[in-house]
Amino acid sequence: MGYVDQPYWNPFLETMSQRDLKRLQLAKFKRIFTWAYEKSKFHRSLYEKAGIKPEDIKSFEDIRRVPKVEKSMMRDIQRKDPFPYGDALCVPLDEVTEFRQTSGTTGQPVYQPDTWQDWEWWSESWSYVLWAQGYRPSTRVFLPFGYNVFVAFWAGHYAAEKIGCEVIPGGVLDTKARILKIQELRPTAMMATPSYILTMADTARKMGIDPASLTIERITCAGEPGASIPGTKKRMEEAWGAKVFDHSGATEIGAWSYECLEQPGGVHVNEAFFLLELEDLETGEIIEEPNKRGKIIITALDRIAQPCVRFDSKDIGMWDEKMCPCGRTFRLLKGGVIGRADDITKVKGVLLAPSAIEEVVRAIDGLGDEYEVIVEKEGDTDRISLKVELLPEMEGKKESILAKLKDELRLKTNLGYVIECVPFGTLPRYEGKAKRFKDLRKH
Amino acid sequence: MEQKIKALNKIIQTLKEQAELLSKEGADLPCVFRNSQRLLATIKMLELEVSDIANL
Repeated sequence: MGYVDQPYWNPFLETMSQRDLKRLQLAKFKRIFTWAYEKSKFHRSLYEKAGIKPEDIKSFEDIRRVPKVEKSMMRDIQRKDPFPYGDALCVPLDEVTEFRQTSGTTGQPVYQPDTWQDWEWWSESWSYVLWAQGYRPSTRVFLPFGYNVFVAFWAGHYAAEKIGCEVIPGGVLDTKARILKIQELRPTAMMATPSYILTMADTARKMGIDPASLTIERITCAGEPGASIPGTKKRMEEAWGAKVFDHSGATEIGAWSYECLEQPGGVHVNEAFFLLELEDLETGEIIEEPNKRGKIIITALDRIAQPCVRFDSKDIGMWDEKMCPCGRTFRLLKGGVIGRADDITKVKGVLLAPSAIEEVVRAIDGLGDEYEVIVEKEGDTDRISLKVELLPEMEGKKESILAKLKDELRLKTNLGYVIECVPFGTLPRYEGKAKRFKDLRKH
Repeated sequence: MEQKIKALNKIIQTLKEQAELLSKEGADLPCVFRNSQRLLATIKMLELEVSDIANL
């Protein structure tokens, strides 16, 4: 068997027993903890306050005593010496070769330094993603994203090169030009956010081009949870006539998960490169059992310039009870990242995860891809309104579609909505991360 | 499988020694030093993929 026929990027690690994976994680956690303790003033101070030294890490119970790092803590130390990263930097500044920053969706952006070794590690982690999704040297990949300070698909680009793919950077082009470039060069794979995949399909249709008639066979999505939301995935797959795969990662963490060719309804956690712990939202206990939602606490086991040790990602996930038929032993997170702890909000006294609304809207045939949710105060009570677009050819079925929408929303979210149907094409379209949920209440 | 991991690790360690030597000997030559540093970063990936298992 030649290497291209190998289903796994690394068969040793991806099929390793969970017992051995745990041994590997413990050994690697000790290594990165020691590194952070010895090289970063920020981490050392944090751990000294907690009374933990490297020699104390002997078990997973010891790991759970290690203080978590939150994004706000990283913001506090940054833009200080050594400028602009602050004292979590573990290497001399002249060893930093890469600058990226978070998108700032939840506040001031965090800067992320990486050495060349870290950047190799980024593309190595992404190679697991792409190989599992069927990328091979014969794949021609189109990357329709603005190459800039956000990590986005940068590492996907480098990983595709590492795998041996032919990579077409679709940088400073508008959406129409990107569609034409796809038509001209016939790439077979693409990477983008789910919002932009749908926007591109919409634009292609307006240009008189059926996106499914183009050559894209596989699409890797990141940046938003849509590729693991069944309704959104179906829309993308039907629009492009392609398989759509999810991947979750983050600037501060790395490329920590991926959906495989089996599309098992979730993502594999790369447990050789990352330690993912699920923390009960109320008790803070670590969740090992399946089907219980928890907050994702994650450690990048090999990242050195600015270590990511027990980072509180605020993402929500739950372990799947089943193992994947692909043969990988890396555990599955059911439904991928299913929400964010800081997105979950109370409306009319009911806990609401915005992704639940997307799940409903995108599963209803006849509605457009876009929607907008606004929560505001009306006197003392909350008012939640939802704007949707009806596909032009579905005008005759408007009443039944909206009635179905109302019922499904009530069923899935336990809330009543003020629903407005706006003309098709009038809601905002997004290239990067979409902002469809707007909470205008003053908290 | 264990044998294969050990054999691969042996080659990786030899490569690492050679790359470190190259980096040291070429420390005054930008073209040698920078390329050998990149080589070492790639070798590190091989260590993550193979040597870490060999050392378990």
